[in-house]
Amino acid sequence: MQEFAAWLAGTGLSQTIASSLWMIPVIQSVHIVTFGVLIGALLMVDLRILGVIAKDQSLVTVTRRYAPWVWGCIVVLAASGLLLIVGEPARELLSFSFWAKMSLLAVGIVIAAAFQIHVRNNQAKWAETEMVAPATKVFAVLSFFIWLGIIAMGRLIAWDTEIWGSLSPQA
Amino acid sequence: MDFYSFFAAIENSAIGTFVRETLNALPIINVFHVVGLSLVFGTIFMVDMRLIGLQSVSRPVSRVAQDLLKWTWVGFALAAVTGLLMFAANATTFYVNLQFQLKMVALVFAGLNMVVFELITARNMAHWDNERRTPPAARFAGFASISLWVLIIVLGRWIGYTKGFNFSAPPAGDLDLDNLFGAISLVQTAVG
Repeated sequence: MQEFAAWLAGTGLSQTIASSLWMIPVIQSVHIVTFGVLIGALLMVDLRILGVIAKDQSLVTVTRRYAPWVWGCIVVLAASGLLLIVGEPARELLSFSFWAKMSLLAVGIVIAAAFQIHVRNNQAKWAETEMVAPATKVFAVLSFFIWLGIIAMGRLIAWDTEIWGSLSPQA
Repeated sequence: MDFYSFFAAIENSAIGTFVRETLNALPIINVFHVVGLSLVFGTIFMVDMRLIGLQSVSRPVSRVAQDLLKWTWVGFALAAVTGLLMFAANATTFYVNLQFQLKMVALVFAGLNMVVFELITARNMAHWDNERRTPPAARFAGFASISLWVLIIVLGRWIGYTKGFNFSAPPAGDLDLDNLFGAISLVQTAVG
């Protein structure tokens, strides 16, 4: 890990990003715009599961409409996130918020993938059923708050020591 | 009273002082601001994409708007309240900040775009509600809305990088490699 971070901070790409005045803010802006779209798409699927919106359409229809946005956004977020790690290795890799974010991200992606595979394998059932099992509703709410938590942890990277104290590796 | 002393009074008000001087208040308010803005942008984006004709085209525009727009307002309320709190804490600094001024102008234009759409373009929506292809004015409104909100986000992020703010974010590229390696081994110990 130490060699990795040293190597990363010393690469040409890292130094190009770090020495530019505008690259980090621009990549961060792309990151923010993209997670906004992700949240919009997730919210619609989760609200359909809860039966709050689009009750005239099946969960299969609503998922098919918004799932491509979720996965597309995750790809753009990963790419822009990687550039931010390369550009500021110490800020990201040496922060508690970052690793908390990555842990939540793993859980969020597993839930999203499991949900989509489940819907795909049970299309007939979900195309007919308007009622959703309570457990699914719990997962919908949980998943949404996990993604909000990912956003929160991402923003808190900027105040890692102030927020986490001795938990922060920067302390 | 001129504008500057007006904003100085806001900054020195009880609420401004409270936000500024309370431990971790600004980071936590900032987190909720970002959560609010992602709700605003994500939901308005889907409506705008429907207007442009790139999303949910088989569903009536009014239905798409009904699904999404109340959540846009929830997000906007959250972003506005948290934004006002952050503004109050450093009002004079925001007041003289160019990126902040431009962001407010962009917000006004986003509001005007919405008012024009609601009062003029959407007046005969019944005629094109089910059409996959919306009228040019509606497509323009969608395109303008996405552009303005992206601009608002970019300017907002840019405020954090402009001089005069004490958001206590570690400066980019200011690496202490010796400390860095000590801290990495700490992470390794913590992660196991």
